Amino acid sequence: MRLPLDAVERELARLWQEETRRSRAPRMELLTLVTLVSEERLLERAHEVVAAVAREYPSRTVVALCRPGAPPGITADVALHRASADGPARGDAITVEAIGAARDWLPENIERLALPDLPVCLWWVGDLPDHDRLFDRMLLGADRVVVNSCEMDLRDLEKLSNLVRGRHGCAFADLTWIRLRPLLDLVARFFDDESARALLPALRRIIIEFSPREGDTDAASTQAGLLFGWMAHALALPSEHAAWTRGEGWAEVRLGGVAGRFEARARADVAPGTIVRVTIECEGGRFEIERQEDPEVLRWSREVPGAPMPPHTVHVTSHDESTLLVRCLERPRRDALLEASLLTGSRIVRPVAPRPSAPPSGQGAP
Amino acid sequence: MHAANPFRSGLETDRIPAPCVFVIFGASGDLSRRKLLPALYNLAVSRLLPPGMSIVGVSLREMGDEQYRATMHDAVAEFSRRKPIDEAVWDDFASRLFYESGKFEDPGTFARLRERLEQIDAASGTRGNRLYYLAVPPSTFAVINDNLAKAGLVAAPDDATRYTRIVVEKPFGRDLASANELNQSLHRVFDERQIFRIDHYLGKETVQNLVALRFGNAIFEPLWNRNHIDHVQITVAEDIGVEARGKFYEEAGATRDIVQNHLLQLLMVTAMEPPVAFKADEVRDEKVKVLRALKPIRGEDVARYTVRGQYGPGNFGGQPVLGYRQEANVSPASRVETFVAMKLEVDNWRFAGVPIYVRAGKRLAKRVTEISVHFKSVPHALLAQEGPLEPDVLVVRIQPDEGIGLRFVAKVPGPTMTLRPVTMDFRYGSTFGGSGPEAYERLILDAMLGDPTLFARADEVTAAWRFVTPILEGWARTPEVEPAAYAAGTWGPSAAFELLERDGRAWRRL
Repeated sequence: MRLPLDAVERELARLWQEETRRSRAPRMELLTLVTLVSEERLLERAHEVVAAVAREYPSRTVVALCRPGAPPGITADVALHRASADGPARGDAITVEAIGAARDWLPENIERLALPDLPVCLWWVGDLPDHDRLFDRMLLGADRVVVNSCEMDLRDLEKLSNLVRGRHGCAFADLTWIRLRPLLDLVARFFDDESARALLPALRRIIIEFSPREGDTDAASTQAGLLFGWMAHALALPSEHAAWTRGEGWAEVRLGGVAGRFEARARADVAPGTIVRVTIECEGGRFEIERQEDPEVLRWSREVPGAPMPPHTVHVTSHDESTLLVRCLERPRRDALLEASLLTGSRIVRPVAPRPSAPPSGQGAP
Repeated sequence: MHAANPFRSGLETDRIPAPCVFVIFGASGDLSRRKLLPALYNLAVSRLLPPGMSIVGVSLREMGDEQYRATMHDAVAEFSRRKPIDEAVWDDFASRLFYESGKFEDPGTFARLRERLEQIDAASGTRGNRLYYLAVPPSTFAVINDNLAKAGLVAAPDDATRYTRIVVEKPFGRDLASANELNQSLHRVFDERQIFRIDHYLGKETVQNLVALRFGNAIFEPLWNRNHIDHVQITVAEDIGVEARGKFYEEAGATRDIVQNHLLQLLMVTAMEPPVAFKADEVRDEKVKVLRALKPIRGEDVARYTVRGQYGPGNFGGQPVLGYRQEANVSPASRVETFVAMKLEVDNWRFAGVPIYVRAGKRLAKRVTEISVHFKSVPHALLAQEGPLEPDVLVVRIQPDEGIGLRFVAKVPGPTMTLRPVTMDFRYGSTFGGSGPEAYERLILDAMLGDPTLFARADEVTAAWRFVTPILEGWARTPEVEPAAYAAGTWGPSAAFELLERDGRAWRRL
């Protein structure tokens, strides 16, 4: 049943009263999770993910969708999240629908639905529009913003980087970055001992193989760009004026004395953009992480003169979006490393993935 | 050359220790099967073990590497919190799992062990780092330690190129004299910085959360003193009997098994002052001060402030259960206590005059471990209508269903000012979902990282025994007094209730 927005709190209170009689479950919520769905086809997925998040992390979720049409207006559906079909309640589930020009009214109305004193997290589902005032206005009321950069084009790294730098009060999170974290740790492990670190001044080439999105002509996936951005940042490689060369299925960038090579290697059993192999070549040493036949299994190996170490097999679970989102919510602070990696990565890829120029003032998406 | 790993800078990596060889003495025993190997495997699944890290099991039983791997595969399959086994991770884990059989008294065992460890160092980059885990009775500690030293398997504590650490399991002695003897035996070979005395209660999330609750929130600490707290209750109750541990329990009893270690650890975390930093020695300094401030219970006070009990036949869950004296490997005339209750006092500025009632036992009505802080009643009964108001209670539940609860009074809706106690509950399971690491995983990782914050220090153990030993001696001086009988499945002997009733208080209903 669609309700006017001013009836939402009343209806929720009624549902909780019923719930108290039914299960005696306490009303407990840890945050407001606002989900902006950029396209209607993503709505069902957004609902599934926020319901799964609420199961782990009791929350008020507000899923907002805009539809074209008239007259302009905003209505809502309310329900309670549940731990299981018959389980106790785990938070408020609000779905907001804005028709036509009412899209512009969403920020202040959604802010009114936020729980007092608790953080507001904004999750943008889907690709980032190039110039969208709604997204920018929604950011003003959020403590945390979450995107998934693997759904974006390589050129969007720059938009994300600008967004991060411009919003000092808001912590930025990227589900793709969370997904990359085990890989970052495995790369770092190569150099935990001095024998391996001694080879770093003789670093010559970093090769990142990734499974491309179908039909994608970008030089690298955003995931590969982000990973390389992190490595270049960690090694303080000169990221300005990156010199690129490209061929069929590969692209190479030179940063000072180090080459970064991106190779497309399609694999049907992994999500588009996924890193398939990382190789670091130094004079006298070699380091490699390779995804095995089981895409969740990675083989870590290295050759360092005088410091033998057997190859290592690790399992890296391909977490679904809800798990990644929960991980983001567990880390409420700004992530300086993500911000620096985005900045470095976006600088490096700018020559091969330029941003479209902004439209004249006032011409943004409605 | 880079001084530090540039890839670690800013990386919020979960803590990864340096590669080492983890050597388990008593590798085929129950503790290894049920706890140690499953914990190590789970650390591997969580990618918290460093590449190259290897495990060598040492035990008397004859078997080879392959047989040991197969045995431990079954153990992990049965006891790991993660099921089923991830075979890819297991294969990798098992490829660095080795076994060495031999007697602990035989220097040849240690010569072979040394050879094996050197081979592993050469192949796996473990660089001479050793973590020895004594999953064996304390009576064998000395011979193992001495043979490790004789075989050149102990690095100096200040050796910057490699480390040696040793983890020992409770019981850390059976009284003050034997604890001192045990410490001396360990110190003959190891420096205190190398010794990690494990009490798995300290690895539990809720115990660590008690520290977070007290020192991470501004609202509790101002109330955490004699001005606002009426009394504290700590309960460590088990619903099971001694089961197959009759022989051990006849030697130990509830006081040695639970009070001297787990229960006093909970007391220390409850009553300690804020440490200057959450670092090993700073935390342990504050904990040990609590033990030093405990008012001794000696002489006649033993009968006045302590209660011993022993379970008799009864029923549990509607089924008849044996009394302690009928259990296997227990003397039919045993006077060993299976229940103990005490009234303790911490004589310091913060807690002077605040009684701390503790109880622990087997075959009680429920399995529950909790700390409850009972606040004083309001100074003026402005709203009281039918007797005094129920005072507020803060409850830290350690097991089962870990969480924190606060009981306070609220007005019942209606035209009259009727008050009723209500509770606000925070439960780990329903708030954060999923299961966290087991205590052994956290503690083994800490030992590999060289972080002793959650391990007992020698002076802590000594101070605990210094408090408990006079009580044990007091009981021993009156052998004619039997522990008070209680029926299995109840909350202990009536004397335990009287201990509080004479102070005008009662045990919290659990």
